[in-house]
Amino acid sequence: MIWIGDVLLSQGEGGVYNERMLGGARVWDPHRSKMSALYHVGTGVELKTGMRVLYLGAANGTTVSHVADYVDVVYAVEFAPRPMQDLLEVSRRRRNVIPIMADAARPEQYASLVEAVDLLYQDVAQPEQASIALRNCSFLKTGGFLILMLKTRSVDVRKEPAEVFQDTLEVSAISRTYCAGMCLACSVPP
Amino acid sequence: MQSYWFGDVDDGRCTLFIGDSNAIIDRIRSISVSMDSFIPLEWDQAILCGACSDRIDYLARLQAVCIADAERSIREQYARKDAELLQMVRTLDEIDTVINLLSERAAEWYLVRHPSFSRKYRRTPAHVLVKTMREKSKGALGRVAVEIEQLSETRTFLAKEVSARANSVMPNTSALIGGLVAARLLSHAGGLLLLSRLPASAIQVLGARTALFSHLKTRSPCPKHGIIFQHRRVHNAPRNIRGKVARVLAGKIAIAARLDYFRGVTAPDFLEAAQERIDAVGKRNEP
Repeated sequence: MIWIGDVLLSQGEGGVYNERMLGGARVWDPHRSKMSALYHVGTGVELKTGMRVLYLGAANGTTVSHVADYVDVVYAVEFAPRPMQDLLEVSRRRRNVIPIMADAARPEQYASLVEAVDLLYQDVAQPEQASIALRNCSFLKTGGFLILMLKTRSVDVRKEPAEVFQDTLEVSAISRTYCAGMCLACSVPP
Repeated sequence: MQSYWFGDVDDGRCTLFIGDSNAIIDRIRSISVSMDSFIPLEWDQAILCGACSDRIDYLARLQAVCIADAERSIREQYARKDAELLQMVRTLDEIDTVINLLSERAAEWYLVRHPSFSRKYRRTPAHVLVKTMREKSKGALGRVAVEIEQLSETRTFLAKEVSARANSVMPNTSALIGGLVAARLLSHAGGLLLLSRLPASAIQVLGARTALFSHLKTRSPCPKHGIIFQHRRVHNAPRNIRGKVARVLAGKIAIAARLDYFRGVTAPDFLEAAQERIDAVGKRNEP
């Protein structure tokens, strides 16, 4: 990962979302991208050149574009047509972004397109987030990583975020037998 | 045998799929994979197949297919009849907000210029006040008044279009509660499919989100009606039976929405029976 001081950067063509540039590299803003925030708090999975990433809930391709700067290929799954229009524009400019318009809860719909990946990153606003992650673990290589950005308010608005987080951890504890790699679950504040 | 986008792989042998990009899209949409016996694809099998020459070529081809597929999906989704109606009714509601904001502000401005003017004890409708402001004000304030009037015209025009479109997209729901209210329900549900999937109890409180969640979280009473309050049967009903009317109406709307989605044409028998049932709620309870 490229850091200048405490600014996280990624090397690639700029102007995706009018991001700031620093020394010819793109500033990866932790206030706009949860993944960047994860690196800023000192955790996260080191992105390497040869990595293959499955990104569920790609939205407008803001974070996707930064991940793509680091890795070999990003399979970006998004369901809604409106953000998909933006994501398509990002993929036309980047050779290693594969946009997939499908429902992340139904991996069988895109299984014929995606290869085995080193990192599964999930950022979807769905109540069934844990089970979506589980189902997509079939794509994960042995020793691969799962990063689950748990949106607790999408799971249950009435429960406290910490409570939802605990429930999900229980599910993912079971999932470790299914998931070949390490699970890293993050609670996203509402 | 495993089927991938470029071809079928069986025991190390690979059969290349031959066809143009449309045929490949049809293929990836029709491939049904069982996740239990699923083996993730290995890209070098595509070389074996003769689908590509190297990794860069592989990704380029796959990306082209995926982009074409996504573009087609987007086109298909936007071609549905309710997609544009959603935008139309949201624009309409936003124009309303803008008109209200602007006329309130312009009125305040006008008051400063005419210290003796007051709206108290006058039944001046907003559009008449705007007309007065336009005639009696010079400079920017006059221009603002002109803009408000033009925006109101656009609003009326758009409202007619929304009504007409709602009548064709959701004929039964529109017949039951009127095109505008039907379209607003549609916009809150997010589409005709989503509306037709909602239970009646959800349709009843659609648009009363704040009240509903405050009810779920605290002990405040639950909302009796959301958008359907705009229907005359609900807001004209006496207070004590308003909830009842809203419940019956929501039940009928739920059926109507399903008719609209799955049948798409008017169902006169249903409409007649439903109207009768809705009208009956008030009468049965009158003292």
